[in-house]
Amino acid sequence: MKKRWMCLAGMALAAACLAGCQQKDPEPGEVAGYDPGEEYLSIWVHSIEDTEEGRAYREAVESFNEAFDGKYFADIEFVPRNDSGGGYSDKVNASVMSGGLPDVLTVDGPNISAYAANGIIQPLAELTEEEKSAYLPSIIEQGTVNDQLYALGVMESSVGLYYNKDILEEAGIEVPDADHPWTWTEFQEILEELKPLMAEKDGYPLDMTFPVGETSIYYFAPFVWSGGGELVSEDGLTADGYFNSEQTVTAMDYFRMIVENGYMSEAPIDHLFESGRAAFKFDGAWEVNTVYTSYPDINLGVAPYVVSDNWDGGTYTPTGSWAFAASTEAEDIEAATELVKWMSGVESGIRIWNMTKSFPSTYEAFDSIDVFQTDENYSVLYNQLSNYGHPRPKTPVYPQVSTCFQETLESVALGGKDAQTELDKQVKRINTKLERYARE
Amino acid sequence: MKKKNSIMGMAFFGPALVLMVIFLFLPMVLTFIFSFTDYFALNPGLTHFVGLENYFEIFQDELFLKSFLNTVKFVIIIVPLQCGGALLLALAINKAAHCKKYFKVAFFIPVVMSLAVVSTLWMQIYSPEGILNTLLEHLGISAQPFIYSSKQALPSIAIMSAWQGMGYQMIIFLGGLQNINPALYEAAEMDHASAWQKFKDITLPELKPLCVFVFITVTIGAFRMLVQPMVMTGGGPDHSTYTMVYDIYETGTVNWEMGLASTMAVVFTVFVVILTIIQNVLTKGKEERKLVHKKAKAR
Repeated sequence: MKKRWMCLAGMALAAACLAGCQQKDPEPGEVAGYDPGEEYLSIWVHSIEDTEEGRAYREAVESFNEAFDGKYFADIEFVPRNDSGGGYSDKVNASVMSGGLPDVLTVDGPNISAYAANGIIQPLAELTEEEKSAYLPSIIEQGTVNDQLYALGVMESSVGLYYNKDILEEAGIEVPDADHPWTWTEFQEILEELKPLMAEKDGYPLDMTFPVGETSIYYFAPFVWSGGGELVSEDGLTADGYFNSEQTVTAMDYFRMIVENGYMSEAPIDHLFESGRAAFKFDGAWEVNTVYTSYPDINLGVAPYVVSDNWDGGTYTPTGSWAFAASTEAEDIEAATELVKWMSGVESGIRIWNMTKSFPSTYEAFDSIDVFQTDENYSVLYNQLSNYGHPRPKTPVYPQVSTCFQETLESVALGGKDAQTELDKQVKRINTKLERYARE
Repeated sequence: MKKKNSIMGMAFFGPALVLMVIFLFLPMVLTFIFSFTDYFALNPGLTHFVGLENYFEIFQDELFLKSFLNTVKFVIIIVPLQCGGALLLALAINKAAHCKKYFKVAFFIPVVMSLAVVSTLWMQIYSPEGILNTLLEHLGISAQPFIYSSKQALPSIAIMSAWQGMGYQMIIFLGGLQNINPALYEAAEMDHASAWQKFKDITLPELKPLCVFVFITVTIGAFRMLVQPMVMTGGGPDHSTYTMVYDIYETGTVNWEMGLASTMAVVFTVFVVILTIIQNVLTKGKEERKLVHKKAKAR
């Protein structure tokens, strides 16, 4: 009898522990600044509070609360995300099951489709054309799924083809303007020309790697896009005929050619470009700031991203970053949209640039930051982003597509395997993940 | 009195039990249940019972089979390396006349360090222009790709892991060595036994129970390898360092396929348990057989 009683007590305690995990909105007065009559809005961000990015979000929320004093009160929670992507997403996943999602949360650009398809986020309240046109087209496109706008980012990103001005001058190579980028053939000729010169410097023409993770698809999918290819169909539900298309094969073979001809090192060498031992490097926009502050001896330039010989002038350059979206648990979508707009707006964008050197997402923010007008490298990146930005594949199985792209790149370019066979194999893997969405 | 004792016992045991139930037993049972469903982390509401479908799927999945083979390969390389290395270190330190404490601490430090830190450190050592390749160059050997080649990556990681983990087993062996009765060695010396004979006939048999323990724990630890490839190679190149636990992790958290990941976890657990039982039977069997043999001789 006693035993049974003990067991019951234990179970009750366990239930109490679990119930304690359920979140409930606080009452006015419980949180500093939350006054009676205000509507409570919770918001999660994926960064650490004690970083420049975290502080920027905190300040943005504070200014929102000031601007909407008496109407809304936003309460920010920081859920750090670790390098392998866990932490934040684990918490989101757990809350999807147990409830307790905030009104507004941050979502990584390529995951917006999956979150929308699985009913984690809901479409924002209607924005006016004027409001929409304030943002770069790449931001609107990234946040749109099935013609509905789900998310708006405060940050945008881009990848540059950086070059060492001194080396190119030494070799007598002219860099074209943004509307006439080098084609693959031209770029190959340049690499060939630079090879002996770079060998003298104990380096390579190109500082390039195919790292595991998001980087590979982010940097190198433009090679597929500029040739007129896509990695998945427009609705994101078909990979066959896209991921393994002729355009993808050609792009993969091009990378193989670069490795085979020794234009890059097969094993990654640290700081090859920064130490003046490489003429070119593909890297995120942050590289400009890195070179300016840590490698002032490097005479840095940004060339337009190279294009396929069949380029038709369409968008093709890398874009995308974390964005704000309203969760399906947000009851007042108008209020949540207001917060999303504020967090991604001009003022927040300027703040994020000032504090973290991440690109903002609105035209006005770019216009009011001097460096995008005065510094040629930043202005090249901005023009590339606003004129040629292309979002990453919009599909609910994006993580699988990203992994498969990197693996194919590695096995074809570095491993020398047949591109078509590898891509066909990967399509099968993507298809098994797509089955879930075909069923519904 | 007895009743009071049992209440007291429950009071001490209770909190631990509750925690164990919530954080260990419940997840274990749930994993088993999820392994028969198509539970998708982003959409738990749509979970269906799918029977054995997941089990069929993973055994047809080339990648899962490859990760399984990689894990086995890793275990085969690392177990002799780490156990043998630990034993050699222990013997050397036991013999050392000076600075015993220093060596003990020095060899134990890698165990205390975080695996992620050790991995990052060794990435530098293995890098194309790193310490190891510079050293090789001086010896007239051409630079090796190490973790950047699909042939060398797994052995490179195994060597690093053995180096990292060895110190712990070394301490266990050292304890064992110091427990051996010195009289045995004295007797052997009187019989003019060589150093090798002493090692073979006294040290090894005396350390036998410890060897079994070390062997099993190292094997299980090796099966669970995840951090090293995650930090150093991301499972590559060409999946050559993709392990079972890595596959489980990616399937469950990156691709959100919790049902499938649970199935993999169940298969993994069953496999490790079977292997441990086999190891146990084999090593115990020998010992018991010997005992019987000895008893028969004595008679």
